Amino acid sequence: MAKTDLQGTLDLLVLKTLAQNGALHGYGIVLHIQSASNELLRVEEGSLYPALHRMEQNGWIHAEWALTETNRRAKYYKLTAQGRKQLQQAEESFDQLVKGVRAVLRYA
Amino acid sequence: MAIIRRIGNLFRRTSIDREIDAELVSHIDMRTEENIARGMTPEEARRDALVRFGNRTATREQVASADATLGLDRLWADLRYAWRQLVKSPGFSITAVVTIALGIGLNTAIFSSMDAVVLRPLAVPAVDRVVTIAERQERGSDEGIALANYEDWVRQSRSFEEMAVRTSADMSLTGAGDATHVSAALTSASFFSVLRIQPVLGRLFSENECQPGRDAVALLNYGYWQRQFAGQPTVLGRHVQLDQRDYTIIGILPKGVQYPAEADFFLPFAPTPQLLGNRSAHDYLVLGRLRNDVSVRQAQAELGTIAGQLAKIYPTTNQGWSVRVEPLLDGINGDLTPLYYRLLMGATLFVLLVVCANVANLQFARGIERRPEIAMRTALGAGRMRLLRQLLTENLLLGLIGAGGGLLFGTVYLRLTLVLMPERIARHMSGWSNISLNGRVFAFSLVLALLTGLLSGIAPAFEALRINLADQLKAGARSTTASSKSHRLRSIFAIAQVALALALVIGAALMAKGMGAQLHVADAYKPRSVLVFQTALPPARYDTPQKQAAWYDDSLEALRALPGVTHANVTNAMPYSDWGWNRDVEIENRPTMPGKDQSALHVIVSADYFAAFHIGIVEGRGFLPTDSLQSTPVAVVSRRFVARYFPGQNPLGHRIRMGRRDSHEAWVTIVGVAEETKYTLWDQNKYAAVYADATQMPSPTTTYAVMTTGRDALSVAGPVRKALARLDPALPLDAVETYRQSLNESLIGLMYTAGMISVDALIALLLAAIGIFGVMANLVGERRREIGVRLAMGARREDVLRMILARASRLTGLGIGVGLVLAFLLTRAMANLFVGVRPGDPVVFGLVTGSIACIAVLSSWIPARRAARADPLQALRSE
Repeated sequence: MAKTDLQGTLDLLVLKTLAQNGALHGYGIVLHIQSASNELLRVEEGSLYPALHRMEQNGWIHAEWALTETNRRAKYYKLTAQGRKQLQQAEESFDQLVKGVRAVLRYA
Repeated sequence: MAIIRRIGNLFRRTSIDREIDAELVSHIDMRTEENIARGMTPEEARRDALVRFGNRTATREQVASADATLGLDRLWADLRYAWRQLVKSPGFSITAVVTIALGIGLNTAIFSSMDAVVLRPLAVPAVDRVVTIAERQERGSDEGIALANYEDWVRQSRSFEEMAVRTSADMSLTGAGDATHVSAALTSASFFSVLRIQPVLGRLFSENECQPGRDAVALLNYGYWQRQFAGQPTVLGRHVQLDQRDYTIIGILPKGVQYPAEADFFLPFAPTPQLLGNRSAHDYLVLGRLRNDVSVRQAQAELGTIAGQLAKIYPTTNQGWSVRVEPLLDGINGDLTPLYYRLLMGATLFVLLVVCANVANLQFARGIERRPEIAMRTALGAGRMRLLRQLLTENLLLGLIGAGGGLLFGTVYLRLTLVLMPERIARHMSGWSNISLNGRVFAFSLVLALLTGLLSGIAPAFEALRINLADQLKAGARSTTASSKSHRLRSIFAIAQVALALALVIGAALMAKGMGAQLHVADAYKPRSVLVFQTALPPARYDTPQKQAAWYDDSLEALRALPGVTHANVTNAMPYSDWGWNRDVEIENRPTMPGKDQSALHVIVSADYFAAFHIGIVEGRGFLPTDSLQSTPVAVVSRRFVARYFPGQNPLGHRIRMGRRDSHEAWVTIVGVAEETKYTLWDQNKYAAVYADATQMPSPTTTYAVMTTGRDALSVAGPVRKALARLDPALPLDAVETYRQSLNESLIGLMYTAGMISVDALIALLLAAIGIFGVMANLVGERRREIGVRLAMGARREDVLRMILARASRLTGLGIGVGLVLAFLLTRAMANLFVGVRPGDPVVFGLVTGSIACIAVLSSWIPARRAARADPLQALRSE
């Protein structure tokens, strides 16, 4: 059984984004998800930051303050080894969810 | 570890907050920069970034909670906030805390006393495994055990880890001050292992010492040790004389196990071989500790089987006898004490409900004042759940502070009840000495605190959250009136308070009235001026009826010679004492019909008794000094006896005999008929009476009744003691007190219950009055403007007064209506439980209802008058 909910999906998106881009700050994550999804998905800041901090507390990602290209201080997030494992699990369970939902939709 | 990190975060809350804020700000700044890069003006860019980000404060709160999701941090913050809120409105907080403290304190006190007396009267480990065993005849009541049967059970049964036997004896103690009467428990050595008792000092007696000739050792009950020997450890090894026999004190029993409750001394039970073979003397009490896997029912079944076998082997003694096993605790307190306690606990929980209603009402009122605050917090992004939790935290805090105060109040109240209980009664209640504030009591009050907080807070909290945000903010700082729903809720709470208070007050008043009637039953005898005491003539020295009769003649003569004494008598039953000797009666030449009860109280009195207690002799004669052991035995019967057994006949000259059919007592001739006198107090049976002359039928134990001319009979106690000591210095006098005191003792349970229920009722009444006052004061406060308008438009002050009072009367009326129904149900239940309580007593119902109505109207009078006196100009301007 796939265990997925909306929060799980947000976690998956964030983890995947970090896996592909190395270290990113919150704003960068928002921009990346928006462009990578062809503007289909827009992440709410009100959900993103609590999710980032929760994942950090779970030890999936690691944060540190660094300077941006425009010399602004921002908090950068990076995947940890544990986060990589979590990403793999989340991808699998998401695939299963999609398959399952498809199957139900196709059933006539 | 994530958990440790989060707990760590709790202590760095401010720095974390700052960091989160910095992160969020940097996010907004980056979007602003990018917007500018896309060509927006700086203002537009900033505005867009802020709008897209949404509520920053709310997000920061959520992020912070992700960092410390344990919630402890928020609870702490909530508690601190709640504390600040409570401190900000001290009037409200103090009222609420005091109210809650009263409610919880009462409950704590009653619970701790009930816990000790009813729920855990004995500090015996695994007390549910301990049972008592009784034998009974078909259709008979429980009787003691015959020793030979006990011996067979011990040998044959497998249900018990161990069994023990005990019996009791009244003994006179000499050689330690005045001769006194003591109660002794004679027990087998196994008694202490069945109850798992260890001595606090010294040692217990052994199996070896439970044999005739070796049994001269004694253990002391803890309370008796404290009373008689001031708790001195040097008492060990000391010799005392019980019934003129030397005993050595070898140990002190613990305080927590007072069983049997009346025992002062515990002596080894050393049965003779003859006793051990006896199957017909049902004189012994048997205890057993069940094995772990055996139920009471199984034990009962096994002993039943053994009893059946014994009946086959010994038909003459054992035929028709069965065995009954019952948990020890069931038999400890009898029927009345647990009943009183349950009633009291119920009433006291009622008071807590009134307290909850009262605090809820206060909260409603405060909720209206707090609307701007709630509106502001909602507008700033606080969620409903968040606010609800905050409001409930406030209530829980109130409940907890209240419980703290309650424990203080409860301790004082408990002390008071302990001090007011006469020591003579207290030591007959097994658990009384165990009463204390212990862990269970603390847990109980904690639970009550949380419940009170929730119960009183939940409705007002929901009500406070039901606000129309836009209206509220528009209205700004102007005060607003509560919604009609809120008013309805508050009215319901006020009505409930009046109803509960009315029911409680009526219940208490009926109990008090019933008790008052019982207290004055014996007033005709001037009970304060009558000294009563008991004696038991030691059989060793008073071994013949002649010696006993001589003692009574001499002692009564000596007492009558004392100054201030008008009458001195002996009797084996005092009027209204609920104590008497109900015996079968046989009438000469009249066969008794089997199954038809023919009995009477056998009251053995001295000749002067009838005159002293104003009992008229309506036919024949009373007892005369010429009636003696040598003359014909005579009896005086009561009118009811004549009506019952000699209807329409002259009973004089007929002969009767007391006791069962095989009685060996002498036939006695009826020589007189006396007026009816009541010997019962609680007992509802109507007994006929047969009086016998104490000189003709002396008994070893009797009660002396010495009537005096003084106001307090205790003043002759000293001379009485001296006069009797001159005749027999070794004879102890027991329970020397006035007749009034002895009557009060049989009423003490009811007095206690009535007293405490009255306290409950008064507090409920007070709270109800405060409740009505609060509701009306608030109503007036809210309607000031309207009242101002009415006055400005020409309404007279009386109209306003009438308007407010009419509303108060409506609430009170409804409350009284509901309360009367409740009270009727309550008192119906009480009348079944208590003698002397009449359920539909119109006087009490009328008086209580009237006074509660008055109190309610009075408590709304002040706010109503304030409303009527309002200056219309000021009232209008204040808005």
